[in-house]
Amino acid sequence: MRRSTRDAAVTSVMLAPAVLILVVFVVMPLCVVAAYSFAQRDAYGGVVPGFTLENYSQLFSGLYWQVFVNSFQLAAWTTILCLLIGYPVAYFIAFRAGRWGPALLVLMLVPFWINFLIRISAWVVLLGRNGLINGGLTAAGLTEAPVGLLGTLGATLVGMVYAFLPLCVFPIYAALQPLDRRLIEAGADLGAGPAETFLRVTLPLSLPGVLAAALFVFVPSMGVFAIPVLLGGGKDIILGNLIVQLFLEFRNIPLGAAVSVAMLGFAALGVVLYMRALSRIEAMR
Amino acid sequence: MTVEGLGAQHCAPMAPKSGAAAATPAVELLAVTKRFGNMVAVDGIDLAVREGEFFTLLGASGCGKTTTLRLIAGFELPTGGHIRIGGQDVSEEPAYRRPVHTVFQSYALFPHLTVSENVAFPLRIRRLAAEERRRRVLAALDLVQMSGLQDRRPAQLSGGQQQRVALARALVNEPKVLLLDEPLGALDLKLRKEMQTELKHMQKRLGITFVFVTHDQEEALAMSDRIALMHEGRIVQVDDPTGLYNAPVNRYAAAFIGETNLLSATIDGGDDATLRVRWLGHHVVLNRPAGAAPSGQAVTLAIRPEQIVRAPSPEEERAGGLAVDGVLTESVFIGTDLRLIYRVETGETLICRVQNRAAATPEPGERARLLLPRGALRCLTS
Repeated sequence: MRRSTRDAAVTSVMLAPAVLILVVFVVMPLCVVAAYSFAQRDAYGGVVPGFTLENYSQLFSGLYWQVFVNSFQLAAWTTILCLLIGYPVAYFIAFRAGRWGPALLVLMLVPFWINFLIRISAWVVLLGRNGLINGGLTAAGLTEAPVGLLGTLGATLVGMVYAFLPLCVFPIYAALQPLDRRLIEAGADLGAGPAETFLRVTLPLSLPGVLAAALFVFVPSMGVFAIPVLLGGGKDIILGNLIVQLFLEFRNIPLGAAVSVAMLGFAALGVVLYMRALSRIEAMR
Repeated sequence: MTVEGLGAQHCAPMAPKSGAAAATPAVELLAVTKRFGNMVAVDGIDLAVREGEFFTLLGASGCGKTTTLRLIAGFELPTGGHIRIGGQDVSEEPAYRRPVHTVFQSYALFPHLTVSENVAFPLRIRRLAAEERRRRVLAALDLVQMSGLQDRRPAQLSGGQQQRVALARALVNEPKVLLLDEPLGALDLKLRKEMQTELKHMQKRLGITFVFVTHDQEEALAMSDRIALMHEGRIVQVDDPTGLYNAPVNRYAAAFIGETNLLSATIDGGDDATLRVRWLGHHVVLNRPAGAAPSGQAVTLAIRPEQIVRAPSPEEERAGGLAVDGVLTESVFIGTDLRLIYRVETGETLICRVQNRAAATPEPGERARLLLPRGALRCLTS
């Protein structure tokens, strides 16, 4: 056998398990969802195979449009807040933490060892009427009665930022860490103070990481469902809740599938925009 | 480069400021020390760089020359001592408030900016008007012969071109002092030689004080007005190139610059002004160097290979020096010169350098009388 043919054969064998897993657990379910989104529902909540665009036309009617807007707003705010908090954290770890940097990164991952729902439930306890924060405020004499923290947009955002912040810190850190320190010195050498050096040198050079961070936070934020329900009281319907309700409560599986496909489309759009922006930045180098 | 092509208005804004008093050093280091943890990188050095001179910090890697430059630039703050630039104490000033610019070894061009944006960077910081900015960027690019490549990104340039852009960026703001950290280190030999001449001409033309760091002694000798030879965080000798080569102050300086025969000898008498030195049973009378003990002290005689006379005439021998017989053990052809290694009486070797004349290449085994002329011998006590 020629070397290249053998290499190709070895590669195929090595890749086979991964490809198989992806096909069975990602591609096929997606195809099923996509197929359902064109099907119809019968009176008992079953799926009638067929082809109709009715689900999609229903989706883009006024009622559901508001759900997309709600989700988009929540995801946008989460992304902005994550970037505003995550950038300084990443900057600190990359430039100032010295030999503690790797340890700090590991510490950021520690919460992931605990189940997501448990962590969010912890916030319910913290923010509740008899929770730690209200207790602290009352004890400090700042408030007389407990403040209603739970069930607000603020509580939702706190939970969202808490959940997605590490996804934001890591790509920014990865962009800052290898940045040539001489470039920052060159900025100072040419007369730019720390703020100006940051704005003209460090920030532009870390932009690919910022874009990746935005994508990593925005896409899962669009599909989130537990956090707004548990912390925000589920007042505003967002895509995540809608899908759950359509599947489990209304038993309208085809419409739920259509919403899922639309959400996937949003995520894909995000990725495309990210790739575009990235290649534009790369072309500038 | 040929600087003739420069328009007069181009170099006008870069002319030296004549206002400052000539006696004030451009850069002055007073007992400057820099420690990193337990490691002493710079050990209490004193240095005065004159205005408008091409000053080189020379030394092997780890001698503290780059740290010294970084202290002047302000990237490091001294652990002790004072730094003055143009008479102003800047010891505690951050880099961006110092009137110096640096050409980095790695060039440190901003990869996200074009050539002209890179050069315009310091002008933007100073909020210069767009028109003035454009004019000066073009003049600076013209100076380094990089006109026409304004819109390229650094990644699209060769090493030599990047280096020119780095130079233009550092010069465009008319710094009082330009610091250069081994700027030619990454270039190949031919380009390196060209840039040496070009930099030297540019420096003379602009009248800016250059503080240049290199480990390459040839480069230092070829370019500098004065050289500070550094070793283990200290300054060994500050001198002009001829002085450093012809009159090294100690064994280290003699061995670092060029090739030297270092001979172990003993002081064997002398008076207030002179010194009798014994080497292999021969005696020579030399001028007394500072710090030489009266008698019995071990000293080192240093002589450059090219100053040893092979087969001296009787007149030459009568003029004084040490004359010994040697056997040629090795002859190395190095282009313009021949490097001849002789073994003398007690087994010591003498390296001798003669110009390559195709007619007579000596063969190993050849015996020759070698004269170490009195005037070429230096007696080193440390």
